[in-house]
Amino acid sequence: MSDAIRLKVEKIDKVFKRRDKPSVEALRSIDMSVAEGEFVSIVGASGSGKSTLLRIIDGLIAPSGGRVLVDGRAVDKPGPDRAMVFQQDSLLPWKTVVDNVAYGLTLAGTRRADAERTAQRFIDIAGLQGFEHHYPHQLSGGMRQRVNVARALAVNPKILLLDEPFAALDAQTREIMQTELLSIWQETRKTVLLITHQIDEAVFLSDRVIVFSARPGTIREEIPVTLPRPRTLELKRSPAFVELVDHIWKLIEAEVRAGIKQS
Amino acid sequence: MRQLYEFLEQDNRSAGFARVAISTLAVLLVWQLVSMLVTNRLLLVPPAEVAAALVKEVESGAMWTNAVATVTAVVTSFIVSVAIGVAVGLALASSRVLSLTGGPVLSALNSVPIIALAPLFIAWLGLGFASKFVLVIMVAVFPVVVTTEAGLRATDKQLVEAARSFNATPLQIFSTVTFPYALPFIVSGIRVAWARALVGIVVAEFFGSFAGFGFAILSASQTFDTARVLGYVIMLGAMGLIGSVLFATLERRLAPWRQE
Ligand SMILES: Nc1ncnc2c1ncn2[C@@H]1O[C@H](COP(=O)(O)OP(=O)(O)O)[C@@H](O)[C@H]1O
Ligand SMILES: [Mg+2]
Repeated sequence: MSDAIRLKVEKIDKVFKRRDKPSVEALRSIDMSVAEGEFVSIVGASGSGKSTLLRIIDGLIAPSGGRVLVDGRAVDKPGPDRAMVFQQDSLLPWKTVVDNVAYGLTLAGTRRADAERTAQRFIDIAGLQGFEHHYPHQLSGGMRQRVNVARALAVNPKILLLDEPFAALDAQTREIMQTELLSIWQETRKTVLLITHQIDEAVFLSDRVIVFSARPGTIREEIPVTLPRPRTLELKRSPAFVELVDHIWKLIEAEVRAGIKQS
Repeated sequence: MRQLYEFLEQDNRSAGFARVAISTLAVLLVWQLVSMLVTNRLLLVPPAEVAAALVKEVESGAMWTNAVATVTAVVTSFIVSVAIGVAVGLALASSRVLSLTGGPVLSALNSVPIIALAPLFIAWLGLGFASKFVLVIMVAVFPVVVTTEAGLRATDKQLVEAARSFNATPLQIFSTVTFPYALPFIVSGIRVAWARALVGIVVAEFFGSFAGFGFAILSASQTFDTARVLGYVIMLGAMGLIGSVLFATLERRLAPWRQE
């Protein structure tokens, strides 16, 4: 990991204005930066604006104030330097796995043969060999999320944005996907910003965990994770790991409980 | 028996053919039994006599003349209906103002039995191709318009957002997300349009033409030739069935993920 700052978020505010309803302040004055090759996670109660921040960084929506810098340059719309893996299923159901993985490349005008060759490389990395010509509805949830990750990686972004990518998976599949994500990250050396509501997932994967407070979302605390790498699932049973998870949980417990009562 | 039952339940081509064969046989059987009870041959004739009448029509060349007239007229007007319907549906889906102002007019027109205007169309356009053409378009275009607009509007927001995240242009969003998503809807509208087009063509031919299945049915019934009437009705039924099976298959092919 070098010290160069890849992603910088400066004083981002977001207020959703709605017709006939009170507006929602989703984010207030978010400042953060992510170094090149760093793996950073954001945890926070549901509704604390995590997805909104990720969509602003990706350029899908505009902030009400502040700006996003990639390698020092302000960005205000989606670009090939960032790629997103969405919380909801977002594969094209009428395209096969290989065509889905190649989707971003073909949109960018890459020749079909080249796009397919690149797609095949990431299909291999994501462990999807043999499923190239399957359709998304023929795959399990875990396999579909691998396709989503492969599709984002295929455009060779500098920054990978992941919005609760494993939330819909069962516990065992999730653990396997976590270790696979780690090895992909080690192999590709991407800068990763991951959202999760699972604290142990954040600690297990990250160099740093950013804890959000509930609405409006603000950064409550940034916690460096100095646990040694490479990490295996055994780490999750070590006292240092458990202690860190417990510390973060205490930071957000009150808000999560309040959120449960509200909904 | 049990094995036959399980075979028929399968979702493959030969089981499908077997199902059609069995239901056709059942209809023929019931028809045969009823025609043995109803002995007035002006009202009902048994299947064998209808088959004989059909053979006679083929031998005399009348079948060919009528088939050419009906099929060319209905296929050309149907294709034009689909083209107009998709174009209008696209326009309505892309403009909110257009949809709000044009929508009520369209649904009013859609619920009026336009078929009842057939005599008027023939008075305006004369006997022959033109009146058939216009009448078929008038009845067949609406289902395509409605399903095209609905399909384009139903598009999955999440898929559009993913495309935007990959920097897709509005045209790319249309061609890779919105339109493929709408396609199965559009085909279901086309399936309905085909059934309506067949009704339209027959009615147009009843009122004004010198050839075609509708014309043949009318002239046969004026000479109380019930066998010939039923023979041509069966021809029309076959056309309807072929279209329906074809478009239903296409719909399934275009949206395999909806089966699960
Ligand atoms: N398009 C929108 N319009 C109005 N409110 C929104 C919109 N998107 C998100 N919000 C609101 O902003 C807040 C933060 O949402 P979100 O970023 O999805 O939270 P999280 O991902 O942390 O669960 C929520 O209260 C949500 O209802
Ligand atoms: Mg979210």
